[in-house]
Amino acid sequence: MAEMWIHMGPQHPMTHGLWNLRIKVDGETITDAVPELGYLHRSVEKIGERRKYFMNTTLTDRLCYASAMTWTHCYCLTVEELMGVETPQRAKYIRTIVLELQRIASHLMWLGAYLPDLGLITGFLYGMRDREMFLNLLEIPSGGRLLYNYVKIGGVKRDLPPGFAAKAERVMQTLEKRLKEYEDLYDNSKIFRMRTDDVGCYSASDAINWGITGPNLRSAGVAFDLRQADSYDAYPELDFTPVTTSASDGISDCFSRYRQRIDEMYQSMDLIRQALAKMPEGKVMADSVPVRASGEAFRRTEDSRGEALMYLVGDGTDRPYRWKIRSPMFTTVSASPHFLKGYKVADVPAIMGSIDMCIGETDK
Amino acid sequence: METGKFIQQLGKHKGTSNSSALRSNVGCISVTREASPAFFTALKEDYAFDHCSLISAVDNQSGFELVYHFSIIGESGQMLEVHVDLPRDTPTIDSITHLWGGADWHEREAYDLMGIYFIGHPDLKRVLLPDGFAGHPLRKDYVYEIHEEEW
Repeated sequence: MAEMWIHMGPQHPMTHGLWNLRIKVDGETITDAVPELGYLHRSVEKIGERRKYFMNTTLTDRLCYASAMTWTHCYCLTVEELMGVETPQRAKYIRTIVLELQRIASHLMWLGAYLPDLGLITGFLYGMRDREMFLNLLEIPSGGRLLYNYVKIGGVKRDLPPGFAAKAERVMQTLEKRLKEYEDLYDNSKIFRMRTDDVGCYSASDAINWGITGPNLRSAGVAFDLRQADSYDAYPELDFTPVTTSASDGISDCFSRYRQRIDEMYQSMDLIRQALAKMPEGKVMADSVPVRASGEAFRRTEDSRGEALMYLVGDGTDRPYRWKIRSPMFTTVSASPHFLKGYKVADVPAIMGSIDMCIGETDK
Repeated sequence: METGKFIQQLGKHKGTSNSSALRSNVGCISVTREASPAFFTALKEDYAFDHCSLISAVDNQSGFELVYHFSIIGESGQMLEVHVDLPRDTPTIDSITHLWGGADWHEREAYDLMGIYFIGHPDLKRVLLPDGFAGHPLRKDYVYEIHEEEW
């Protein structure tokens, strides 16, 4: 049968954001794929070179609309490394708490986006309903629901109010109950399993070579988590081991990526509880933060989607000379042709949905 | 391997200089463009740096600088920062996509935004900007106004 190219996107229910996937098909089977990006390119790195260091947190919030906190945090961590600023202990704990809340909110949004891809529209409502509780929690200290601008260079904007721990505990207990329901609902759903089992498989060694990181890598059984391997903030003082899942030995499929994110939500709740219990009293902002910086620095963090890395070069002025962002999704999408080939056209939403795309950070 | 030890060993490779430790598990080294292919192969084969985190291109005005970040996917979480200087009139270097598949789009991005040419790259074309875009906007001498009417 003659092969042909099909465009899935830039306007397509599968794309979750603005991007284009060209697939080459032989009948129903995918023989080649080419992802095309750039529709949302805002040149954040170039704009950042014209703005002072502290102004750029506005831009970093907008890198990923589903996970704004983690990106601003990664930027602030890098600038602190560049300037030699020491964050107060309490601020480190608060950061850890809001980061994990953000991770849960991001994973819930993924759950809410993924299930309708597979025809389970109810999943969207469940995911969004639960994410709402976490947005309410994040709104308490930051005042924002989507873009927080809460993490600042040298600490966080303001302290957690009294009673926050109790509110967080109530929300987490609710989510735990509901996650159990979802597991019963999806794990045992024959339709869900047919769409995800043994679909979009890749091996751990391939994933490492292609640059896949984060939940997508851990779902192939690789116990690698930057919260431990290159620890930051309060993570060294918390007790945890990276969660991993795998379809079979060292192989990741759509279902193991789903399981991975559900398990990570449980782990995040555990981390939040630990951090809330251990949090010391004190300041939440460093006494003085320099305006100018010189030299170069980089830090990497475990973003909701993988390894986020920022590299900054300062030339002694109050603006960065060069600011480079590593987006985990940018690299993961580049590897997507490898794990699309050989599957059917109808598998594309299941596969591309399972890696949790966010075009904001991918296009920068 | 301990960070101090492997940095010392790396410093013995041909064409390297300025080897130092940035943090407890992060090393930093400079390498010349000519010696870089052999050096990168050794990194992958002998030192087990199995993950290419990032390739950043920096416009130093006198020339370009490529900054590679490699890491080990393992408990140690070791990282290495490699600096390679490129002359301004011939910003070319050998591609490393045959060693690390993940470097593919990082190299395309460096070409797209900074105009660095990677020799041997399988598909070196723009990735974020549209085909036919003129110039490389992250260069310091890029003037936006010239291209304003086109786009």
